Order: sequence, then structure tokens, then C-alpha cells
Amino acid sequence: MNLIQQKLKEIGSDWELLVILAKRDISVRYKQTILGLSWAIVKPVATMLVFLFAYKQVAKIQDISGYPIQLVIFSGILFWNYFANSLQAISNSILVNSNLISKVYFPRLIICFSSIAVSLVDFLVGLAVYLILALSLHQDISGYIFLLPVALFITSLFALGFGLIFASFSVKYRDVQQIIPLIVQYGFFATPIVYTTKQLSEKSWFLWYNILNPLAGMVEMFRACLISQYDLLTAQNLSISVLASVLVFILGIIIFDKREDSFVDYL
Amino acid sequence: MHIIEVDSVSKKYELSANKGAVSLKNGIKNLLTKEEKEIFWAVNDVSFALNRGDKLGIVGSNGAGKSTLLKILSKITKPTTGAIHVRGKVASLLEVGTGFHPELTGRENIFLNGAILGMTKHEIKSQFDEIVDFAGEQISRFLDTPVKRYSSGMYVRLGFAISAHLNPEILIVDEVLAVGDADFQKKSLGKMREVAANDKTILFVSHNLTAVANLCNKTLHLEKGRVKQFGETGEVLSNYMAALQTNRLEQSFDSFDSAPGSQQIRLKRATLIPELLEGQTYLDIRNKINVSIEFWNTEPNQQLNVSLHLFASTGECIFNVGTPPGQFGVGVVQATLEIPGHFLNDGTYHISFMVVKDKSIVLYNFEEVFNFEIADFREDTTWYGKWPGYVRPVFPFPIRQLSDSI
Repeated sequence: MNLIQQKLKEIGSDWELLVILAKRDISVRYKQTILGLSWAIVKPVATMLVFLFAYKQVAKIQDISGYPIQLVIFSGILFWNYFANSLQAISNSILVNSNLISKVYFPRLIICFSSIAVSLVDFLVGLAVYLILALSLHQDISGYIFLLPVALFITSLFALGFGLIFASFSVKYRDVQQIIPLIVQYGFFATPIVYTTKQLSEKSWFLWYNILNPLAGMVEMFRACLISQYDLLTAQNLSISVLASVLVFILGIIIFDKREDSFVDYL
Repeated sequence: MHIIEVDSVSKKYELSANKGAVSLKNGIKNLLTKEEKEIFWAVNDVSFALNRGDKLGIVGSNGAGKSTLLKILSKITKPTTGAIHVRGKVASLLEVGTGFHPELTGRENIFLNGAILGMTKHEIKSQFDEIVDFAGEQISRFLDTPVKRYSSGMYVRLGFAISAHLNPEILIVDEVLAVGDADFQKKSLGKMREVAANDKTILFVSHNLTAVANLCNKTLHLEKGRVKQFGETGEVLSNYMAALQTNRLEQSFDSFDSAPGSQQIRLKRATLIPELLEGQTYLDIRNKINVSIEFWNTEPNQQLNVSLHLFASTGECIFNVGTPPGQFGVGVVQATLEIPGHFLNDGTYHISFMVVKDKSIVLYNFEEVFNFEIADFREDTTWYGKWPGYVRPVFPFPIRQLSDSI
């Protein structure tokens, strides 16, 4: 716990640098406004359209677990893109910024934390699209939307935890980087992104599924905050997700702390 | 109370077949097989201490551990053993424009780079105009242009301008002075002097010994990672230069059989002796240099002359002089050359010479007989940039006022 406290303090003391690095990433991303924005809008919309086509036209499914199919899929994709993009950005943050790390000292964690910024902005853009989509379908927005930041926070901890572990190892073992796209690709289907936990909840292994994939609870957290009357978030998978996020985050910090001193030697 | 204490600091690198980053598979293999690794101490048992206001020059040949030491001092990398204690805010300038992002504008990069170097937003804001002013008029016109469109000169000027406005108690600088055109170098060095004049502590790595001599009161000479000497600048530098110049300044061969050359001509002895002034320990641009060449000739009645070439380190021939031809018999022949002082510029040179028969037939070409270095020397100057040119003659060049009216 002391270590976590000390690390967070380090970040706090260099808060301005974190903000400016985050700003750098965002303004580079959105420098070409059309491209940056459209990327944040087109990607989730296109993914949703593909699945809508598969479900409605091919499989003749009209709704998922009784909720509007568009909203279930789009909220799932919003969540997944946020998690996957953050994970990827954090994992690569040390290597991408190797020129900085080998020339200046600052708490290394800053670069990992600031790398979430772009995913966060993309998420907010996607959220606006979601709200427009919900309104155009004449659907209410969940009354729990004010809890969305909490859901984001929990997801961020999880992404940070894993991201820090990958970042720590990828400096020395470059091929670790190649694992992440695989996780993102298979994780998308292994997690209830384009379906819900309801379709799994009858299974005998459902509890184990939630423990092995805490992302399942997290995506339901997002949906509970976005879709009106959404009742698939149980106390059980909520607590599993929170617990897993905190544990993974602590583990990530511990591993990062062990390895950060040697980063420069391998850059 | 010392502001910096370095206590037997060492840094070890393991040189294995897969140096640096490896693949996961190889990493596991290495763990399992415990392969023998070659160990290399980049910095080895270095200790020194500085007081507030000291300006330390760090000198040494390439690979002496200067950069590694700077990285340890600026906390970028941890020493393997030993400890450093630093009391005060440190800013390190290991390159100009660290973290500049090509897509961002000059203005955005000032804030980014400033923050990376440890300035607060407030500090940058309050100095913003000065920074732009220092960087020059060209930059101020292109402040809102992405720096990827800057020329490399503009890039460097902007980078240096930001660094020059840092306000740490301890400043660590690596070679950044060797940037920009002569005008900007002058400005940068002026700024360094200004910084040096106040109470700041500076650690400065440079190959520019003139700058070290003029800016630093203490000097650390590193050799193969170890401290060769640490102390007052004058003393350390003169030993350093003297050690550097133990080049091939004399070559002599005891017997004809072992000497280089042809059947007819063999080198007996060649010396290059500078006439040092009193108290001088190494050769600089002021000194006269005497070159003497002795060779064996085995044929009677030969018309011979010696032709000498002096080359710069870049390979260009600076001059070629020849002795007048003469008639020589069997025995030893000597040629002597006097290169005047205040003629060659500072730099590294080498000399080759050939023995020529009948003004046209080259009997033998003795290549790179001497390799020597001429140090710079300047008095009462505020400019330490590299003096251009291969020669540096002192020609009479008077200047006077012709009239009082315009």
C-alpha cells in the first residue's frame, strides 16, 4: 500500500507534465480534425452496423435479452474500444516515448497514465453518438448515467494494471507487444460486447466465467449506466470486477516499479 | 555542505550476444541456460563532490563514460552500485529540443518541452516572450507553424532558447553548445556565461576544451569509466591534453633490416617536436613545430629530394612542400622542416612524406608517419565556437578610423 501511495504521490507532484503530455497526444490525434473525429465516430458506428447486419439480416435476431439491439451493441463497443485502446496505448507508452525516457528524468508512470487521454476523448465522442442514437430510437437514457465516471474509473484501473505489466515487459522483450492485438481481437468475442451476460447466466460455469473475465462485469456496468431499466448487472459480477481491477492495478504498479529502473538500458 | 556528492558510483552493462532488447523466447532461454555474459563497466567507482556554484567540465575520449555518468546524475538511469546525493532542483539538457513533437506548433512545443524539462506552466508563461525573442525573429514569425516545417537550424534554436531559460539550481549539459550557426553559437555561449556567472552549479560535458577552460572551475577527466583526475580545470586540462598528445611523435628504427621502406631507402628516424613555451605541457596553435626525417640510402650518387604532405583528419591535403634536390651517397640523409606557429588551425593532422629520385621517380612513400593534434588557444575571448579553416595565420590586418563625419 505504501508503494501505491508513493507512486500516486509521484504522479501528483508532476501533474502538470501529465496534463501537457495528455494534451500533446490529444492535439496530435485531433490536429487533423476531420480525421481524428471521424475515427472516433466511424469506427464504433461501422462495427455496430456490421453486427446489426449479421444479427438482423442473417440471424434474424431483433433484440438481445429484451433490450434494443443497437444500444446493447453500441454501448458494448464503446466500452470495448475504451478498454482496448487504453490497454494498447499504455502498453506501448514506454517504447513510443523512448526518446523522452532516455533523455529526461520524470516519474515514468506519468507517461503510462497520460496515454489514456486519447481513448478517453474518443470515448466521450462515442458517448455523444450513443446519446444521439438513443434519442433517435426514442429510448430513455439510464438514470444511472451519472455513475458512468465510476465505471470508467474501474475500467481504467484494470486497463492500467494490465497495461503497466505489458509496458514493463515489452521494453526488454519486444515481442510481448504482439500479444496485445490478439487479446483485443479474441477478447472482443470472449466478453459480452455484442451479446449480454443474460445469455450466459444460466450456465453452471457463469461464476467462473465472471472471475476469469472481469471485463464481463465491467461492460454490464457501462450498460447499466447507459441503457434505461438495464438489470443485468448483479452485485456478484460488480464486486468481482471491482476487486479484479484493484488487484490487477496493484500488481501492475508493483511489477512496473520493479522494472522501471532498467528501462533505459534496453531502449 | 556539498550540493552534489557522488559516492563510488559504478554502472555495469551486460554485453551478451543479444544486446539490449530480446525476444521473449530468447529471454527465457537465457534464464534457463545462464549463458556467460561479458560484463562491461561503463562507469567504474567514480567519486567526486561539488560545492554550490561550481562549474564542472567533464572530459575524456569517446567511450570514457561521460554520457553514462550524466545519465546517472540526471536520474535517467540508476547506478549499479554507489550512490549520488543531490541537493537542489536539477535540469538536464542531454539534447536540444527533447520531446519536440513534429506535428505540434512552435508555441505548443515550447510548453511541452518546458514541462518536460521541469518548468511549471507559470514559469513558461512568464518567460514565453523572452524565449521567443532569444530564438530569433524567424521563429517568432513561424510560432504557429508545426515544427516539422522548421529548418533544422530553427529547430535547434528554438530548443536551445527554451533550455536557456530553465532556472534550476543544478544544470547538466551535454554538448548542446555545438549547435546552430556561428551567430547562434555565440549567443548560446554568451547565455552559458551569464548562467555561469551566477550561483548555479553546472555540469558540462564537452569536447570543446576551450569552452571548458573558460567556463569551468573544476574538471573531471574520465578514462575507461574511471576517474583519471579531478581538480582545478587548468591542471586537469593540461594533463589531459598532454596525455592526448602522446601520439606518434617519434619513430626510430635501430637496424636497416627492420625499418620500413624499399630496397634503396629505409626510414631511420623521424621526429616531430613542438617548441613549447614556458609552462606549456601540450602543443597548441601558437607553437612552432620541427619535423626531422632521417633515412638510409644504399645507392651511391643519387639525386634525391623529400616531398612532405600534411593532411587534415578529413583527408584533405593542407600543403605539400619539397626539399631542393641534392646529390647524396650511401649513408644517412636528413631533411628538416620548420612549420611556423600561428599557421595551422587547431585540429588533428597527419604527415606523410616520400623520397623522390631525379625529381620524378618516387622511391618510397612513407604514409602517416606522424599523427598529431594541435590544441586551440584563445585569450580574452567570449567566443568558443570552432574556429573555421585549416590554417589560422596572423596576418597584419589593421583597422582605423578614417574620418569623423558621415
